[in-house]
Amino acid sequence: MFVKFPEGEAKRTDPTTAGGVVYDAVIVGGGIAGALIAARLGAAGKSVLILDAGPAEDLTLRGYESYLDRFYSATNKDNQSPYPVNPNAPMPRGTDARRIFPGVPDSSAYIVQSGPFATDTTYTRVLGGTTMHWEAKTPRMLPEDFQMRSLYGEGADWPLTYEDLAPYYNEAEYEIGVSADVDDQSYLGITFDDDYVFPMQGLPLSYLDQVVARDVDGMPVELDGVQRELRVRPWPQGRNGVPNPAYNGGEGYVPEGAVSTYQVEVGERCQGNNNCVPICPVQAKYHAGKTLARALQNPQVHLVGQAVAYKVHVDEHTGRVTEIEYRRYDKPDSAHFTTERARSRLFVLAANAVENPRLMLASGLRGSNGLMGRNFMDHAYLLAWARLPEPAGTFRGTNCTGGITELRGGRFRRRQAAFSVDIHNDGWGWARGAPMSDLADLVDAGGRYGESLRQGLVDRVSTQLLLAFMVEVPANPSNRVTVDPAYTDHLGNMRPILTYDIPDYTMRGVAYARQLSKRIFARLGAEDHTQYDPSFWGYAVYGGEGYEIRGGNHLAGTHMMGHDRSMSVVDKDQRSWDHENLYLVGGGSMPTVSTSNVTLTIAALSLRSVRAMLDQLAKESAPIRVTSEARAQGLPREVTL
Amino acid sequence: MTPDALEDFLSLSVDLTAFERTDLLGTGLARQYLAKVRDACGEDVVTALLEAHRAARTEAAEDGARPDPQRLDRALRHRIFSEERLGPVARNVIKLWYAGTWYGLPPEWTDSYGAQPAAETSTVTAASYQEGLLWRAIAANPPGAKAPGYGAWARPPAIEDRYLKGRSHDRTG
Ligand SMILES: Cc1cc2nc3c(=O)[nH]c(=O)nc-3n(C[C@H](O)[C@H](O)[C@H](O)COP(=O)(O)OP(=O)(O)OC[C@H]3O[C@@H](n4cnc5c(N)ncnc54)[C@H](O)[C@@H]3O)c2cc1C
Ligand code: SF4
Repeated sequence: MFVKFPEGEAKRTDPTTAGGVVYDAVIVGGGIAGALIAARLGAAGKSVLILDAGPAEDLTLRGYESYLDRFYSATNKDNQSPYPVNPNAPMPRGTDARRIFPGVPDSSAYIVQSGPFATDTTYTRVLGGTTMHWEAKTPRMLPEDFQMRSLYGEGADWPLTYEDLAPYYNEAEYEIGVSADVDDQSYLGITFDDDYVFPMQGLPLSYLDQVVARDVDGMPVELDGVQRELRVRPWPQGRNGVPNPAYNGGEGYVPEGAVSTYQVEVGERCQGNNNCVPICPVQAKYHAGKTLARALQNPQVHLVGQAVAYKVHVDEHTGRVTEIEYRRYDKPDSAHFTTERARSRLFVLAANAVENPRLMLASGLRGSNGLMGRNFMDHAYLLAWARLPEPAGTFRGTNCTGGITELRGGRFRRRQAAFSVDIHNDGWGWARGAPMSDLADLVDAGGRYGESLRQGLVDRVSTQLLLAFMVEVPANPSNRVTVDPAYTDHLGNMRPILTYDIPDYTMRGVAYARQLSKRIFARLGAEDHTQYDPSFWGYAVYGGEGYEIRGGNHLAGTHMMGHDRSMSVVDKDQRSWDHENLYLVGGGSMPTVSTSNVTLTIAALSLRSVRAMLDQLAKESAPIRVTSEARAQGLPREVTL
Repeated sequence: MTPDALEDFLSLSVDLTAFERTDLLGTGLARQYLAKVRDACGEDVVTALLEAHRAARTEAAEDGARPDPQRLDRALRHRIFSEERLGPVARNVIKLWYAGTWYGLPPEWTDSYGAQPAAETSTVTAASYQEGLLWRAIAANPPGAKAPGYGAWARPPAIEDRYLKGRSHDRTG
């Protein structure tokens, strides 16, 4: 089934007219967090205005295809390559990362990096947000991840438990459309309701996973006195598979297809394009444009694009947010803009864990405890690569179908970071630019052509195995996002400045991961080709060994939730302690990143917060004045607060 | 562009890539690739490259028979791959077919033989990436195009048997 994007919707709402309306909620950011909240509030009869920094273009098939064309034509196919450069709403790019020298921040790209550790972490500022190019792995967090401080004395505790979030994980899996099997996903304390099944059946493991499993399944590993056996396990995936007829007590599940303004026949089952990052050509992969399109079908939900939030205005006496001032640029390639404002009863910042604190800090709102922007987290990725004794095939299937999860949890977390392991279906691509680097090497240095080239490619590329260890990084107040008027973008918005270091706790996990990779390769009879380059921008030395550490794109922690207002920025509903009508939603609210890719949890938290928002709107019902003019234009009711 | 030049270019490309003439024509890009090489290196270089290839084939074929593979290999190495002007261009033609990208020639080449306006790294068309022979050589689809279908990834890759020889020690049974 296709998802209808209401034609012309991206331009329908006039910003100035909208500025005269008091909405129930203004949401900054049309990524997965913002889109889910907009859809739910709209469905509950609330009026919503979404402001998004990306270009105000309808999500059409043609528009989507232009992303694809840009990708096909790009000589450098990095993960932002499908998306046009937009100086008015700039975004970080993986290729931006440079080595940082002490005392010299790198301001050459959108995020100013003051180090000491450089990161290539990215996000996307287009309608639908970063899920346009996410990989769509959707593991749940472990129950122990919510109690890291009390169980292991590291990081922070959540004000929520796994059980509190579990019903919302179910809902998030519905909204994203997750393909997985309960049997595979029940481990290390993850439990499901008795009759629960995922919306769609799990995707089959790749042949490469199966080759790895032959040797790795049953591999004994002892850590902190606890014995465990590794196994290759399929990842839950936010991409369309075979609908599970048993879903929802036998009602089944209808997957969502491509977003378009007219009916199209694409977007059904994943076809194995192996291109989930940066863009799925057929929209089999979930992206928040699907939720956004659904939200916008509700006439109560409005969207203004090309709207970059500039400042959050607050009433000095009550602390309540009064309006969001934003800059609406005329065109992506022109710096001309008009200043507009948006008013509502509730305000929701859903611009992601870097942009949310950036906006708050640029508005002078550091928080009464000074924690805004602090405790930035991401995953630290360590890659290890080897050559298998036989060609198992690379570049087939989704980017990643299977992994190893036994070391996501356990007592060892008192001493060292946990991790999950991805078996990459795209060879040494991430580490060393395969297969193009192999081609160039075989031809230019190896003198290969014709048959010997074809043989060389099979020998070199089809035998590649890459393991990616996704290592947890605990919260640390000195890892932070700040702003400085010295660094602004094209529109005059202050740019985010990132200060980030990898703690020893994580590095102990990294060092252990490297040792484990050697054992796994030995068990496979694979030839270890891992070599870490000291000139790599993310090179880090620990215990006399050097490692290449990469960013995880899993931004979190910058407006952490907690029980105690002196120690956190938001409460368990993601409501600001300082500003009672303001919600900061997304990865920024998470007190730990642990070892799950963050987005399913972001979605679950967002869905959970909708309840609190609706309760608050019900409680704070101010008198409402309906103007005939607004109704004629299908605008929301005007309210006087 | 003369039809002869296209034929010669195809014949060269078959030797360079080990893909059949029909496979190369099947990409629909042979003509554009030849034009690309001309734009990037100049007419003279292309003519010389095609000539050197013809000469290599003649040298490798005694009495008008099919060229002997070992002698052809030697002739190509001597006449083309080791040749200062033609070697880098031939290697670029290989990469063009395999990756769909024209890679900028090394600076020492442009220093000696001059830079043409179209010499920098570029894709020829959006389609050229999808038609790269590299993907066929490793029995994969170009990421983002020509999807093989749901679940196809669970089966072994369909790499041609002749490239699996000698690596089959645990593929028995
Ligand atoms: C390469 C890559 C792979 C990934 N793979 C996975 C994965 O496999 N699994 C997983 O769980 N996660 C993955 N992620 C992370 C995932 O994409 C994000 O966690 C998720 O998209 C965050 O959603 P969000 O709605 O909070 O923020 P975003 O998606 O970043 O959306 C924010 C929105 O706010 C808008 N915005 C920003 N600033 C402003 C402003 N000032 N004013 C108005 N609007 C603004 C943006 O245009 C955007 O639409 C991946 C990320 C990347 C980059
Ligand atoms: S493997 Fe392909 S079809 Fe499947 S989600 Fe990824 S890009 Fe889309």
